[in-house]
Amino acid sequence: MASLAGVFASSHAPLIIRGWKDVKSANQRELTSSLTELGRRIKAARPEVLIEISPDHWVNFFINNLPSICVGVGDEHEGPAEPWMKDFPFKKIAGHPKLANHIVQTALERDFEPSVSHHLTLDHGFCIPLWRGGLDPLPPIIPIIFNDLEPPYPSVRRCLQWGAMLAEAVRTYPADIRVAILATGGLSHSIGEPTMGEIDEPFDRECIRHFEKGEERPLIDFLNERLPTIGNGAAEIRNWVAAHGAAGGRGFELIGYCNCPEVYVGCGFASWDVAARA
Amino acid sequence: MRDYWLSKLFFDLQSSAPLGDEYRANRKKILDRYPLKPEVRTAVERDDVAFLAPRVNPYLLRFYFVVAGMSEADFLKKVRTAGADAAARSSHG
Repeated sequence: MASLAGVFASSHAPLIIRGWKDVKSANQRELTSSLTELGRRIKAARPEVLIEISPDHWVNFFINNLPSICVGVGDEHEGPAEPWMKDFPFKKIAGHPKLANHIVQTALERDFEPSVSHHLTLDHGFCIPLWRGGLDPLPPIIPIIFNDLEPPYPSVRRCLQWGAMLAEAVRTYPADIRVAILATGGLSHSIGEPTMGEIDEPFDRECIRHFEKGEERPLIDFLNERLPTIGNGAAEIRNWVAAHGAAGGRGFELIGYCNCPEVYVGCGFASWDVAARA
Repeated sequence: MRDYWLSKLFFDLQSSAPLGDEYRANRKKILDRYPLKPEVRTAVERDDVAFLAPRVNPYLLRFYFVVAGMSEADFLKKVRTAGADAAARSSHG
């Protein structure tokens, strides 16, 4: 059977790439340090497949067809389409159809109905943490898109349950491979809204405390209460919640946090000690 | 409430660099391809962020004005003013 070798989370602020020269040097050091450590931990987990959970920033989907959750089951994905991601070293990214389809089948058996795609383009949300984390070569990637951009969003509770289901799918996959999960997005930020540029560090710190404590109900209640009151980008914390669910709600460790106004994002980086999972 | 054709215009423009070039060169030609409501088209032609903001996803709104060539500082000023105006209207019932 496959094993869950690691669970990770990372912000993916576009300006880490396209506005890097305008980032203050202290914040550059902080972000570089966190992303490097994130990459080191992922590499140390030696994943043979990496499941990535990220939103779609209007690259694959539009409001004529907007899945809540979509699993990329293709044998190959396109690299990022954004012109400013042109130096990302991979134009094609291998998938893992067998495990991806096993995830979909497990989801259906557990009363989830994910959408599937046989050919996705992986935008900056997927690629910035891989790139700046120094993952080269890349393991095969199974992309899972959560709709964090346009309401109605999947509920926080279902995201937590999705993560738990994902861990079950990994553990029941009948091949002896190491699998890791990387959730990307968040923490607080606001894009295209009147509050654009505002970072709510107290919210981010409280959110991190909830992940550290690991108790499901307080985390869900906190996010249900606060997410509607802050910038739209924080909706991506749903992806972190899924990672938390995959880790069994235990073993969260903050790698770094950088309140970085130059990239408009409260940037967080974390891993979960999967050995701590019950 | 989202305006579908406004959203489609913004989505298409941020999805295609050549279309963005064409749009900057001749807005009218591209706008003619979309069945925009007259008031929506006028708002697009006037870069009326306050009118457009509630009708389109905020990410698409931001992407659009990047493609349209509005500076980040100008966009931030307009979108924040739009928010302040909406709040003022709301507080006055």
